[in-house]
Amino acid sequence: MVIAIPMIWLLVFFLIPFAVVFKLSLSEAAIARPPYLPIMTWDEEGILSFILNIGNYFYLLEDDLYIYAYMQSMKIALVSTLICLLVAYPMALAIARAKAGSRNLLLMLVILPFWTSFLLRVYAWIGILKTNGLLNNALLWLGLIDQPLAIMQTDLAVYIGIVYTYLPFMILPLYTSLVKQDAALLEAAADLGARPATAFFSVTLPLSFPGIAAGSLLVFIPVVGEFVIPALLGGPDTLMIGKVLWSEFFSNRDWPVASAVATVMLVVLVVPIMLLRLAQQADEVQS
Amino acid sequence: MKSRLGFVPVMAALGFVFLYVPIISLIVYSFNESKLVTVWSRFSTKWYVELLNDEQILNAAWISFKIGAISATAALVFGTIAALVLQRFGRFRGKTLLTGMVSAPLVMPEVITGLSLLLLFVAMESVFGWPAGRGLTTIIIAHTTFCMAFVAVVVQARLADMDSDQEEAAMDLGATPARVFWDITLPTIAPALISGWLLAFTLSLDDLVIASFVSGPGATTLPMLIFSKVRLGVSPDVNALATLMILIVAVGVMLAAWIMHSSKSKTAGSNSGEI
Amino acid sequence: MTTDAISPFISEPWTDPSNKPFIRIRGISRHYGAVKAVDNVDLDIYKGELFCLLGGSGSGKTTLLRMLCGFENPTAGSIEIDGQDMAHVPPFKRPVNMMFQSYALFPHMSVAKNVGYGLARDGMPKAQIDNRVEELLAMVQMEGFGVRRPNQLSGGQRQRVALARALAKKPKLLLLDEPLGALDKKLREETQFELMKLQEDLGVTFVVVTHDQEEAMTLASRIAVMADGKLAQVSTPRDVYEYPNSRFVADFIGGVNLFEGRVTADEENHMKLQSSEAGLEIHVGHGVSCSPGQRMWYALRPEKIRIARDRPDQPFNVVEGMVEEVAYMGSLSVYRINLDSGKQIKVTQPNLERAQDNPIRWDQRVFVSWDSSAGVVLPS
Repeated sequence: MVIAIPMIWLLVFFLIPFAVVFKLSLSEAAIARPPYLPIMTWDEEGILSFILNIGNYFYLLEDDLYIYAYMQSMKIALVSTLICLLVAYPMALAIARAKAGSRNLLLMLVILPFWTSFLLRVYAWIGILKTNGLLNNALLWLGLIDQPLAIMQTDLAVYIGIVYTYLPFMILPLYTSLVKQDAALLEAAADLGARPATAFFSVTLPLSFPGIAAGSLLVFIPVVGEFVIPALLGGPDTLMIGKVLWSEFFSNRDWPVASAVATVMLVVLVVPIMLLRLAQQADEVQS
Repeated sequence: MKSRLGFVPVMAALGFVFLYVPIISLIVYSFNESKLVTVWSRFSTKWYVELLNDEQILNAAWISFKIGAISATAALVFGTIAALVLQRFGRFRGKTLLTGMVSAPLVMPEVITGLSLLLLFVAMESVFGWPAGRGLTTIIIAHTTFCMAFVAVVVQARLADMDSDQEEAAMDLGATPARVFWDITLPTIAPALISGWLLAFTLSLDDLVIASFVSGPGATTLPMLIFSKVRLGVSPDVNALATLMILIVAVGVMLAAWIMHSSKSKTAGSNSGEI
Repeated sequence: MTTDAISPFISEPWTDPSNKPFIRIRGISRHYGAVKAVDNVDLDIYKGELFCLLGGSGSGKTTLLRMLCGFENPTAGSIEIDGQDMAHVPPFKRPVNMMFQSYALFPHMSVAKNVGYGLARDGMPKAQIDNRVEELLAMVQMEGFGVRRPNQLSGGQRQRVALARALAKKPKLLLLDEPLGALDKKLREETQFELMKLQEDLGVTFVVVTHDQEEAMTLASRIAVMADGKLAQVSTPRDVYEYPNSRFVADFIGGVNLFEGRVTADEENHMKLQSSEAGLEIHVGHGVSCSPGQRMWYALRPEKIRIARDRPDQPFNVVEGMVEEVAYMGSLSVYRINLDSGKQIKVTQPNLERAQDNPIRWDQRVFVSWDSSAGVVLPS
């Protein structure tokens, strides 16, 4: 059956791999190809023996580095989601309230950067943020600072990069829920004596909660595991879990620990992913 | 809305500046003669010349293009089938599972997807002997998997907008299900198929993390090459490359938007009623 | 139930038991989980009828229609069209066409392509299709519109194209889902008569789904009133109005005053109903087979009631009340009257003359009366 192909494909290449990751997180690293010991072995007498090694998880608990990296990832994801929301909301609102003709153009302007290479857009910030980069040159020229600011290789640079990259993911769901709102609601609020600010906080904002929820989760979830942005813009102190996993895998070649890191990350993200489904369903019901 | 300069329009304008300043700076400095990317000396196209003579970059670009085209096409087929199954087949066993598997790759951190697929490929190789080693094939499989989720979402949105009355009407007038798909469904979702393919192609072309995990010797994609160059610092030929890619994408997106727009205005008059 | 006036000009095939029905629906049900959208329906529809399925939203009328054209599979029961069992016959092989509520015109095809779509599926040669499309467009007065796209048409024009498309294959049975629902009131009235004329000329059996009782009354040879997935009553428009078989139907079609009462006498030629709600013993001019003391309802249409300031000269069915409100509606006036029993009733009186010397006003006491044949006794 043709219609079963996507299902089977996703089972094999999306769902089963998680089981493989989990399995591997229970095995022991070794200098071998592939670099780990099998969980199940048949010994000489033909007896099947399992060696389950939960040591990898203890290792994550023992070494401060991992806990710190998880906390740091959550913090960065949370803060950048908030900043994204604050930057995106006025943009989404302006687009939703623009004339129908210019609305499509503005939307396209939001989506266009999303279509250009993510890697190159992050790269662009290096040129802007580095010590002798555009921003420092501009600020020095304006006389606002005497010394170049050290932004590159700090958390600030990572925040800028994340907000910049994930902004469209926040704007689009916000726009979708804002554009659905009936303009008559605001007129009714005004008619009943609400000032524009009051009307915004009592009508527009509550009605856009599904959009806020969807957008926030769409930003938060991938940012927790982000690798490229901390790798390019962050410094050695910027420990995010994606970066840790990457170096565990590529530099240390410790596949089991990398798998344990991934498993824990997945467990942490299961709740937000479920919430995202709920938010999207709520949005569908509303529309 | 009034045209006076309020808080919202000003903030929105600043937001757009924020979105475009990095891109514009990339383009501007790709024409800078100096090797120091951010110090302007004078206009030059020498980095473009250098880029076009860089065997390594051209090679990686060709590999990325091949991977993108094949994965996008496969993702288009599978994603469209998935969208049709989810949108048109009513309730069936495993629907929740399929829905979850279609939507989860959209937000799944790339490091997890990449690692898990690599481990799967390694396990498969040791059990079935396939895929032997890693390279183009494994990247294509990986990209097809996460791109089909995006295609499915785009196509599903279009199908949800579509009036299923039209399909029923065609069937009522004697069209077999295959015929209905060909005559009615396909023309209606065609714009979504085009943008779905383009999206999948772009995502594949853009992916660094997953490709790094599942790639092998001899399969260095363009993002992998750029990443290794960029890690060593800013280099103007990357700016030139970025400018070319932005140009291609901008033209492509405008073309797609134009196609979408013209087909939308054609269907704008269709009625949707209570079923 | 009897039809009180059988006109020689209108054939009424359902009255003759030897007639074979064109559509035979037996014990048909459609359940969605615990919801019974259609529940064990039996229905016969005869050739040449203009049959209306009338009901509110969720009554199951659309589901029944969709089972006729094959978009829904019955959970149980059978449908026979023209002697052929429709089970397992897919929509594209049924001798049935449908006009959709949304019209479902293909937006990417011209009007001519839309109308000719079904013919092309039958493999008709192109030249023949062109001729037939011309003919059909002429029939619905849309000559010259063939090259247009659906979105270049007005609502009324789209409705005509949808009708032409559905009739193109000369179906034995045409199903129409709220065919006039999207039109404005004036256009709807005009189109109603065109639809009836077309149906008469072509002799095609029409089954129309509608929620609009006026539309059903105007169009239909017979009406099936549906509620909660069941047929509440199947009769001619006149019978449904004058002889409703339940309080539900009486209330659903037109306005009605309902009085609860108990049977005090039941003879061959009359019966009596003691109603404290109405504040009198209602005299009914025919017998009903029932037991004494049984609870019954008396349904009385507002226009069958008379009101007067002086006590009318009749021995029964007279009560007093106070006018609460008068609404002048042009052709008639509507009175809300509070009976002394406390019950409020609705009475309509035609405005036969332009000027009335001393019209009945609100807060005046009046006598309310009706004939012994004015209302219907309902057991449920």
